[in-house]
Amino acid sequence: MARRRKPLVQKGRDDDVRLIAGFTLGTILTVIMLLIVIIAPPATIGPSEGELAPDFIADAYNGENWQRFKLSDTFDYEWEEGGDGEWILVQFSDTDCPYCWTEAETMSELYSQWSENVEFITIAVELNINNHDSDRAEVEAFRDKTNYGTEENDGDGCNSGRNNCVNRPGAIHNWNYIEGSSSILADWEVSGTPFLVLLQPDGYVAWNQYENEGENIESAMQRLVGDSQ
Amino acid sequence: MSEILTDPVLIIFILGLAISSYLMIVNNEKKTSMLLISSLSFAFVGITSSAYTYIIHNQMVVQGSTAFCSSEGIVQCGSVIGDPQWNNLFGVPWGIFGILSFSALIFLSLCLYLDRYAKWSEDYLNYAWWAGIAGLPFVALLVIIELTQVENAPHICPFCTIAHISLIGYVGSIYLLRNRRNIGKWSENEG
Repeated sequence: MARRRKPLVQKGRDDDVRLIAGFTLGTILTVIMLLIVIIAPPATIGPSEGELAPDFIADAYNGENWQRFKLSDTFDYEWEEGGDGEWILVQFSDTDCPYCWTEAETMSELYSQWSENVEFITIAVELNINNHDSDRAEVEAFRDKTNYGTEENDGDGCNSGRNNCVNRPGAIHNWNYIEGSSSILADWEVSGTPFLVLLQPDGYVAWNQYENEGENIESAMQRLVGDSQ
Repeated sequence: MSEILTDPVLIIFILGLAISSYLMIVNNEKKTSMLLISSLSFAFVGITSSAYTYIIHNQMVVQGSTAFCSSEGIVQCGSVIGDPQWNNLFGVPWGIFGILSFSALIFLSLCLYLDRYAKWSEDYLNYAWWAGIAGLPFVALLVIIELTQVENAPHICPFCTIAHISLIGYVGSIYLLRNRRNIGKWSENEG
């Protein structure tokens, strides 16, 4: 009687090759990561002091029209500590926030003192609060101190609709007003306005308001920008 | 444009893709092995090109420019990898995503190459297939971003394109491997 033959089935190896594959992949990844760290180490990006400021592209109002603005275009990558260069003051402001309304005067004073050494940038954001809706027309009016809204507390105008933007404290702000977005707010870890960050000319954060509660911006600019001139 | 196409690193990557493609289409008695090597080769080109784009990304962020890729013309990296709005996904640079994704593909292909008869081999082949397929929408998204969204679009980032073609080639190799398995030609001697 003929015996039935079992079909020939190829069997796998006795050892588990997945361990070998894992070690091989680990070696490849280690070599790649080492090469990356040697050739171009990643920068720590964030709004904290010592970190490289988060870059963004957004529309900016310069007093005449809205144009594309890229933050890193203002950086001087060749700058070295103690050298000449234009520092960058970044202010997060909401046209409807009462503290931003009063800080506008401080910003005007700072600009009159430091505009030769510091580039001023205001990022106009909209906080998620009632009566904090602002459109481009309101941002333009806030910057330029032009007629927008009324002096009645009717929700129309700046400062949560309490004031006509033309009566904003301080002078006209002769610097770029950037159209903020939720991604910029998240990258810069903004929890409220006004919020100020001073950047070195090479884009690294030199002073963060949240990290310096005992020092105001005037003192910080004197200490950091004034002493470096 | 002609300048970037004579970049020696880019030429090496293109050669890598050409060799991987040859291994995929060549017909010989060791076709299954050739396809496994082809998939590994595509994944290796993919992981190295992703790492290269990450190096360019780091240089663009820290120095504002890179010596490794042009920043002018249609075929360039500056406007694509240097665009802070589009050069990352949830803050993670695309190069890192590429490195991690191709790592997974290398692991799956390497396991299959080392032991194609293991009891898990069919599952791993399917994982490789679905992982590769899952990456294709991201390739489509990145091509759309290059062509329509970045500053002064359209642009084509050559090293990003190498990574995209690597993934497509990988999926092609795995497709042919699955076909061989389905028609019973998984063993070399059935080839």
